[in-house]
Amino acid sequence: MIRLENVSKMYGSELPAVRDASFDVPKGEFVFLVGPSGSGKSTLLRLMNRQERPERGNVWVAGRNINEMANSQIPHLRRTMGNVFQDYKLLPNKTVFENVAFALEVIGKPKHVIGQQVPQVLDLVGLSGKEDRFPHQLSGGEQQRVSIARAFVNRPLILLADEPTGNLDPATGEGIMGLLDAINRTGTTIVMATHDHRVVNAMRRRVIQLDRGVIVRDQERGVYE
Amino acid sequence: MIQRLSYAFRETIASFRRNMTLSVAAVITSAVSLLLVGTTFLIQRAFDNLLTQWRGDVGMIVFVRPDVTPEALGFIKQNLESQPNVIDVKKLEYLDKTQSFAEAQRVFAGDPTTLSLLSIETIPSQFKVVPKTTDPELVRSLANQYRTLPGVAGVSLAEDEFDVISTLSGFVRTVTIGMSLVLLAVAVILIWNTIRTAIFARRREIEVMKLVGATDWFIRVPFILEGLIQGLAGALVSCAGLWGLNSAWTSGVAGFKSGTGVSALVVPGSYVNGVMIALLVIGAVAGGVGSGVASSKFLDV
Repeated sequence: MIRLENVSKMYGSELPAVRDASFDVPKGEFVFLVGPSGSGKSTLLRLMNRQERPERGNVWVAGRNINEMANSQIPHLRRTMGNVFQDYKLLPNKTVFENVAFALEVIGKPKHVIGQQVPQVLDLVGLSGKEDRFPHQLSGGEQQRVSIARAFVNRPLILLADEPTGNLDPATGEGIMGLLDAINRTGTTIVMATHDHRVVNAMRRRVIQLDRGVIVRDQERGVYE
Repeated sequence: MIQRLSYAFRETIASFRRNMTLSVAAVITSAVSLLLVGTTFLIQRAFDNLLTQWRGDVGMIVFVRPDVTPEALGFIKQNLESQPNVIDVKKLEYLDKTQSFAEAQRVFAGDPTTLSLLSIETIPSQFKVVPKTTDPELVRSLANQYRTLPGVAGVSLAEDEFDVISTLSGFVRTVTIGMSLVLLAVAVILIWNTIRTAIFARRREIEVMKLVGATDWFIRVPFILEGLIQGLAGALVSCAGLWGLNSAWTSGVAGFKSGTGVSALVVPGSYVNGVMIALLVIGAVAGGVGSGVASSKFLDV
């Protein structure tokens, strides 16, 4: 589903953010990218949805080399992926329903599809009954659920999550991980960057560890260390 | 948690207020700039009218000797009136000695030395002649023809005035057109900048749109519409202002006596309408294009 071939990414003249990274993520897999802050986890995620382009190497998503894609194709690439962030990136002046519906509106889905899919996904993430709340009326965990609902409402092939539990207390984070696990079981490939060793150790999934931009470990059913 | 909620709450309110203030600012900015542009257009047109009228009034003056016989005077008058193709007979005017003296007192009000040399007995009476042609060569040959008539003391040509008026006309036109262009550029830049700031306040929304796969045009069109509406709203306000100014000006000018030339400063309604339509188009285009360009800068996610 995702393949990186000898990918290197530099920001300016500093040390490379990612150096010579290669790995393969098959369809339906759940992968943790772990490592300290600044080790290149977020950069790897940004290379996968082409928010960044590598200086060297190729990134393949669903069988296509995304570095060679025309800019006009990028929106279509991104419709096959969902994004979840540490700071949720919800729009403060929209309700829960509107925030999730927004993801469908901007890709031109008709109203009746939106009216059907949004309540479904809100039910899935456990937010039924809170459709009309605004983000500031929700707890952090609930806001992250809205963000996951927004990422998943379009049934993407891939879900990219950047520190989704980073702002949450352990119990709430556990709930979010349960939700991501459930989404993974529907066949969605998930790549999650984290330095939260508790969730990594609890899940026991594939772990790719980075250190200053270099992959130092790639282990099935791994732990954080 | 309460702190975070209250922060989110404050930011929401702030963002709302910020956007509204900016929208109002964009409308006011474009309204003021466009009003200035429109006013310059009208001033330019009014000056043009006035200069055209002055030029039309400029002709020659046939001075008649103070001791002329009535027969000779009649002959001169007949001679002038016999050429309706060459001179404008309707505008032909005879000032007798009293009238000429009164005019001299007005014209030379600032020149007492000249004035002291004149008296009702010694002043020449005069015909004010308006040629139909503005060709200087023809006017000159006409003057030479009149100079030979008995009783004529001399013919004064308005060539110098011609020159002054053409120069003044060209100068006023250049200055006002230049001012219009500068103000227009200022208006476009101000609209563009205001919209850019408004878009900057909404960059988070744009980022989310990009990440869920919205196309650039899908994102850009609402901003372009917003800018277009702001520009159009500003243009409407400026049109109302222009209309008000022009009405006040027209009624003010109507207070002057006719024939003083001031009435030429009234700009015809059709021209005002044309300027208003131009302002609406300029406002809409400047707003739309400005926000289109401004939004492109933030689409690079």
